[in-house]
Amino acid sequence: MEPLYIEPSEFTPRVFFDPENSVFEISGFSRPENTVGFYKPLIKWLEDYEDNVLAKNTNFNKSNLVLNLKLTYFNSASSKFLMDILMVFMKFHSKGNAVEINWYYDEDDDEIFESGEEISEMINFPFNFIPITPNS
Amino acid sequence: MEKGEVLINHYGPLSYEEIGFLLNKMTSLLERYNFGITIRKKVYSAMVESLENIYKHQDVIKGSNNYQPKFSLILEKDKVDLTCSNSLLKVKIGPLKERLEKVNQLDKAGLKEFYKEVILSGNVTQKGGAGLGIINIAKVTENKLEFTFDDIDEQYTYFTLRIKVSLQNQNN
Repeated sequence: MEPLYIEPSEFTPRVFFDPENSVFEISGFSRPENTVGFYKPLIKWLEDYEDNVLAKNTNFNKSNLVLNLKLTYFNSASSKFLMDILMVFMKFHSKGNAVEINWYYDEDDDEIFESGEEISEMINFPFNFIPITPNS
Repeated sequence: MEKGEVLINHYGPLSYEEIGFLLNKMTSLLERYNFGITIRKKVYSAMVESLENIYKHQDVIKGSNNYQPKFSLILEKDKVDLTCSNSLLKVKIGPLKERLEKVNQLDKAGLKEFYKEVILSGNVTQKGGAGLGIINIAKVTENKLEFTFDDIDEQYTYFTLRIKVSLQNQNN
């Protein structure tokens, strides 16, 4: 399956879903003009990934999936879709795949850190919180 | 400071690009005043949600140039004041007022619960609104929201929302 790569813009995040390495990353700023239009294809891609990759894995050991969220800002409409993406990963988890969620945040940015804590609590799944120090 | 300093004053149609322009202006102004990231993010979130609410939910009065969207950002001694207004169909007053009154009754934990309830309910409109904007403003600013509905005519009202971001008890 081909990876999904979306270049970042002033208002939309960078997306890189890499099926070969099972690493999925969304980073940057999220305030799309058309939130549905931006995020629906991401969810569709993940659903296809489930059908074409995860469902075909007949090994005893299931996949180890890593979701890296490195957001600097997201508006409330984006948060709804981030939640939808996380629910897809929870579904993958419930089917036996290992899921690791890394929440990166600027060490001075309480807002983004607290948002991560809240989301983790909402989906009842632990995140790894990884501070980013300026210039690192 | 007796009277606040007006940092931004906008009156007129509000496009998506214009919102971006106003946000960039606010960011550079607050940086110039040396506000830390927490205050800047709070003002940023409140401003995005309020301007996007106008952009997504305003009802433009056909054939009239009056009652255009209005936005102001005023810096006061102990707070940043954001005021935004837009025309709206009167039929929308009921549900909007209900949501505003509900968030004003809730404390921090209550707002968090309400946010969770709405975000998990799965209702996103075609415009991309998830009904979370107002809850998010209240959650981020931790202040009560003030609002008025001023009569325009039989069909329309001019909705004004006033948001305060406190500067006190913030080290940065």
